[in-house]
Amino acid sequence: MNAAIPVLTAQNLVVEYRQHRAVDNLNLQIPKGCVYALLGGNGAGKSTTISTFLTFNRPSSGQVLIEGESPHANAELVRAKLAYLPENVALYDVMSGLENLTYFCTLANIRLSNDQAHALLLDSGLQADAHQKRVAAYSKGMRQKVGLAIASAKQAKAMLLDEPTSGLDPSAANDFAQRIRAAADRGMAVLMATHDLFNAKQVADRIGIMKNGRLVEEFDAHTVQHDELEQKYLAHARGLA
Amino acid sequence: MIKTIVRKEFLATLRDGRLLTLGMALLVLFAGFFLASAYELQQLRAEKHSVGTTAKEQWNTQSVKNPHAAAHYGIYVFKQDTPVAALDPGLRPYTGQSLWMEPHKRNLTRFSPAADQVLAGRFGEASTSFVLTALLPLMIVALTFNSVSQERESGTLRMLHSLGVDAGQLLFGKLLGLMAAFFVVLAPALLLAAVILLGNFAFTLDDALRLLVLMLLLNLYYGIFAALAIAASAYFSTSRTTLFCLLAFWLVSVFIAPRLGAVGAEMLAPNPSASEFWREIKDDIEHGLEHDGDHEQRAKAFEAQLLAQYGVSRKEDLPVGFVSLSRQHNDAYSVKVHALHFDALRDNFIRQQHLSHLGSWLGPSLALRSLSMTLAGMDLAHQRHFEDAAEQYRQYFINLTEDWDRERSRGTERKAIGEEADWRSVADFSYQAPGIGFALRTAELDLLVLLLWLSLSIGMLSFSARRLAP
Repeated sequence: MNAAIPVLTAQNLVVEYRQHRAVDNLNLQIPKGCVYALLGGNGAGKSTTISTFLTFNRPSSGQVLIEGESPHANAELVRAKLAYLPENVALYDVMSGLENLTYFCTLANIRLSNDQAHALLLDSGLQADAHQKRVAAYSKGMRQKVGLAIASAKQAKAMLLDEPTSGLDPSAANDFAQRIRAAADRGMAVLMATHDLFNAKQVADRIGIMKNGRLVEEFDAHTVQHDELEQKYLAHARGLA
Repeated sequence: MIKTIVRKEFLATLRDGRLLTLGMALLVLFAGFFLASAYELQQLRAEKHSVGTTAKEQWNTQSVKNPHAAAHYGIYVFKQDTPVAALDPGLRPYTGQSLWMEPHKRNLTRFSPAADQVLAGRFGEASTSFVLTALLPLMIVALTFNSVSQERESGTLRMLHSLGVDAGQLLFGKLLGLMAAFFVVLAPALLLAAVILLGNFAFTLDDALRLLVLMLLLNLYYGIFAALAIAASAYFSTSRTTLFCLLAFWLVSVFIAPRLGAVGAEMLAPNPSASEFWREIKDDIEHGLEHDGDHEQRAKAFEAQLLAQYGVSRKEDLPVGFVSLSRQHNDAYSVKVHALHFDALRDNFIRQQHLSHLGSWLGPSLALRSLSMTLAGMDLAHQRHFEDAAEQYRQYFINLTEDWDRERSRGTERKAIGEEADWRSVADFSYQAPGIGFALRTAELDLLVLLLWLSLSIGMLSFSARRLAP
């Protein structure tokens, strides 16, 4: 694999639902090891962008690429190279965290021993005494950890996160941010849709603000100040920018 | 991949509280109805055996009398139901349970349970069959209506899609897993039924085969409902819409289609009324069928032929009993006319049955119910087989008494007599019910309809899989 090819690319991406243009000419490149945070209000096009990489939507024009290949032409790319964590990690309530992890991994053609499964859950921050409990009793943060364990097991090239810290308490959000950062440091590309400015600034390398489907502004997360980011974000949200 | 999905669906369904609740309710319901049905069947079989034995003994112990007068004493015969009838009594509540055998006239069966119910009958007619063919599909609908829509609503479908799970494998895996869990819950009920049947009835190999095929077909039937429910759950966007559509389908399949089919059949192929039926038989015997001449002409022709055959000029000079020969001649004609009308009536029943299959386009329940009663030996075809055998027996014993009458008298005298040894020499009615091959040939159309529904349900599942979107 050529290191110069970004892991995730959106080229002139347009996604339309009936008369509504949800994503409008989006261009984006996320290389290996980079966390890219997409900020924006409801309906800005963040989730639609993520859904398009996952092939839940088809582009109306333009394209998305995973390591230079279109997932819409080769559906296997999604299974092999992407990990997905929605706002509420969807798991089967009647099964334990361990069973959920094993089930999803088996469907992704990953065979885990019992020890490996426990180790993955522990690495993701889920306490050992919770592994065998049914997910119905899990908090949102615990579910996120099972989702992270699935993503880790997949050894995916990129992780797509849709509002991952929404509803988490500050401690859990901080813990989650650290684990995302660690994953990126191991070489994973991360695309994260979020409302959470603090979280974006804390974990991301680059930050983009979307409005009405367009990427209206981009920042280097390491250099932009929190106040500046907040003012820009609010200005776009209020239609002042 | 599909094995993993099947295993997960199996475990998840078993852990789902709905299945346990429904399973317990089903077990109680099934046990109640099945015990009532089995008790009713056992009572009926015992009663038939007891009354049959008593009636034959009364026949055997008649006093010394004219053989034809003895024949008028008559014999009752009964159709013994198979043990499978405990699961599906079929037409038993509406068809007679006994046949009265007498000279000159072929009778219809009489004493239907609907008109003369035993205590267990008040528990509800055909209730075990109702649980198996109507309530269990409803239970499947209750278990499966949200099998895919719930995954869509909770987001797990997106997770599965992101893992590249093949939609076809997902839906068929769900089908197999759900059915496996369903049968685990159903197993105690079936085990209970098996224990009761084996403990209370003598089972032949044919009975066992009939039961086995019925169980297999019931499984196919449940599979059809499960496949359609999963397909609908994948096709419609919400659980509510899916449930509404599936309940409507269940209602149409179980209740409306059979009635529409029956009403249509009655309109397209009406049966004669009982009075019309018997009047036509009487008229045809009196006036004769085409080219046969009326009763008087036939009697004269027979007398002339008989006199010529024995070379005498008067019937009083015949070396054998003329009265008996004349009666046999008239009875033979009566048998011919009765057979014609009985066959026409029963052919019309079959025509109605075929026409009622038009209702099968609306759901698989009609075909399954028809198959079920055929395999239980409680359908029209088995009833007809019994009635034909009984008619053969009637002709046998009437002819036997006429033989004694003819051989023990001369000319027009009426002096022939018979005694207990004669009556006892009449063989018992020994009915051999047809085997499973007869049942399967009879039910060819129903089998075909059920297989068509199975193909349709699998086709709809595949169609829903192709267009399944998270």
